[in-house]
Amino acid sequence: MIKILFAGEGGQGVQVAAEILAKAAFLDGKKSLYIPNFGVEQRGGVSLAFVTIDDQAVVYPKFDKADILVIFSDRSIERIKSYFDQKTQVILTPAVSQKINFKVDSLIKIESRDFPNKTWNILALGKVNKIGKIVSKEILKETLIKRFTKQFEKDQKLKELDLKALES
Amino acid sequence: MKNFLMGNQILAQAALKAGAKAMFGYPITPSSEILETWSNFCLKDKSISILQTEDEMAAGFGMIGACLAGKPAFTATGGPGNVLMQDAFSMAEALRIPTVAMIMQRGGLSTSTVIYSQEEVRLTCFGGNGEGFRLVYSTASLQELYNYTFKAFKMAWKYRWPTFILADGYQAKMKGEVDLKDINQKLENVSPILKAGVNLRNCYNLEEEIGEIIVNYADEYNQVRGELEEYEEYQLQNSEIAIVAHGIVAGAAKVAVDLLRKEGLRIGLFRPITLRPFPAKAALDYLSKVKKIVIVESALGQLSSLFKDELYELSLPIIEINKPAVGFTPKEIANTIKSLK
Amino acid sequence: MENNKPLFPSCFKTSSKPHKFCPGCGHPLVLRMLGQVIEEMGIADKTIFMVDIGCSLLAWDFFDLPTTQTHHGRTIPTAVGFKMADKEKIVIAYVGDGGAYAIGLQHSVTACLRNNPITTIVVNNTLYAMTGGQLAPTTTDQEITTTTPIGKSEFKTLKGPEMLKNIANPNAFLARGSAFKPLVLKQYLKKAIETQLKGNFSLVEAISACPTNWKTNAQETIERMGELEKIFNLGEIK
Repeated sequence: MIKILFAGEGGQGVQVAAEILAKAAFLDGKKSLYIPNFGVEQRGGVSLAFVTIDDQAVVYPKFDKADILVIFSDRSIERIKSYFDQKTQVILTPAVSQKINFKVDSLIKIESRDFPNKTWNILALGKVNKIGKIVSKEILKETLIKRFTKQFEKDQKLKELDLKALES
Repeated sequence: MKNFLMGNQILAQAALKAGAKAMFGYPITPSSEILETWSNFCLKDKSISILQTEDEMAAGFGMIGACLAGKPAFTATGGPGNVLMQDAFSMAEALRIPTVAMIMQRGGLSTSTVIYSQEEVRLTCFGGNGEGFRLVYSTASLQELYNYTFKAFKMAWKYRWPTFILADGYQAKMKGEVDLKDINQKLENVSPILKAGVNLRNCYNLEEEIGEIIVNYADEYNQVRGELEEYEEYQLQNSEIAIVAHGIVAGAAKVAVDLLRKEGLRIGLFRPITLRPFPAKAALDYLSKVKKIVIVESALGQLSSLFKDELYELSLPIIEINKPAVGFTPKEIANTIKSLK
Repeated sequence: MENNKPLFPSCFKTSSKPHKFCPGCGHPLVLRMLGQVIEEMGIADKTIFMVDIGCSLLAWDFFDLPTTQTHHGRTIPTAVGFKMADKEKIVIAYVGDGGAYAIGLQHSVTACLRNNPITTIVVNNTLYAMTGGQLAPTTTDQEITTTTPIGKSEFKTLKGPEMLKNIANPNAFLARGSAFKPLVLKQYLKKAIETQLKGNFSLVEAISACPTNWKTNAQETIERMGELEKIFNLGEIK
């Protein structure tokens, strides 16, 4: 069983990234369960997403400690303090500016390089899958493309960008 | 046919396949996607209809209106919406109208959170100025949201008690695998209630008039409860401790039982699936053999009150683990129980 | 003498007569006109009658028509739901001024806005009669009620059909008649049902008498009705 927690703010694509991962796992023949967790604000409030993937049916959507924790914003840090322990692999997206001094074995900071901030959630998604070896790259790519069918139809460049972010 | 869907989408799909013809609803988190999904169905399927009403009272009474005309109708709500709908549910209870309502529980006390709790148990089971002549299913998984929706429509029209799927915001919003299997079910006893020769009233003049009706309902409810009650038991055969939990907490408790059994604890789970009528006989049979009962719920003793009311004969020590509006992970349940010993 | 017997519509339920309304009440007059319209239009076998809580509830067994009481203010949404499920029926919501304009106000407004093809009959006696004569949205300024013991002037008197006119569909029908001018009222009721048959919203308010709560004798009741017929405009509002 692998437990991934995505934490950020409304508008950062936290939920989309988590949903794509959970759906990809399902398409890859695994059992997965995803649940969003946020307040009432449409933008700006803390946005959490729990994804659990296993070979057998997942019963409960939330968990105590994440195996992989992805942090999208400074403001979400306070909210996720109880969800990690030393073994958690922590990933920080380029939006995190605060200095993180968690006592964890693995802490990765994703650099933005040329990627615009609207693709940072996809950078995180790619990194999560790489570290966790969760689903096949092909299936993850297909699931992402399907999810953004409408957006990619309008904007081919966005598709190239997102796929590049997924691979990097 | 396996799909990857959100709980709310699954409920709408199940209602459609189960034979529902109309939905009346008012948007309220965490149930709104049920209304939205149904509204999409209505674009393609002209045999079904939808009405987004001006408030929950209109939704509840609109649903009653459609049922009176002989069309299976349903609604979905939670929290403050559930409070407002008790107006309609009370009348459905009095007139034996087969309404089906999907209650996605959210935080208790006023507007609270839009997320989760198990604090609408009392409201859904005994709300309004009624006597709880209702059929309430507490589901624990995405597959059960699907399966029990079929059952809800079938049993509502057959037995004519207002029927409820009591779920919660977690089940509403979680996405996972579900088998949208073909459940071969034809709804029986579906026909117009308001027809020639029928004059219905819910207002009476003298005490004895309504008193007699209520007693008759109670007799009927007691007579049929055996056909309505449902429960699940897990590992109770040789247990000393029994966890009693419902809904998604029961799902987590089941995993906790496995964790605790690995450590040598003789523990099992009794899960009522119908909260009304409560599966009291089955509970008594299974639980009279244990030494201690631990009731776990995301409320302040609402399940516990129901339990104690129905099982007053059981003179066992009961420990209540209450976390109003907050969920329990399997590990948390296991650790809490361990620390009790 | 057979010829002197009043002709009651066949949809009148004889087993529930004499009815339970107070002497001098406007309801029986309105109901008789409604019964005649149903008879003359030949629609008894497809009419559904719904009543509110308040004095209108006493009409629950008045007709030999499928009838249901609802909860206070909820007659209109129940009617809307029924009509949606069975468009072939003529659905009538028979309510008082409280059910239409206070507790059920949002339902009246929304049903009109949506142009739901139901017919609402509002029997307006300017107070809450069944509960003992309290203030209603249609209570007039000088009127004494149990909760306005010296009258009221701080807020207006609600004119329902006029208010709804602003949001009604061009083909909707809104009118106000009087229980004491029954033959004119009858025309409005007929037109209202014709409006429903054409798929549009209709509402007819009938000014009605309540000698019991007005505490008026016969002469005073007739005078009061005359005053009310001047305060509330009679006629087709829309």
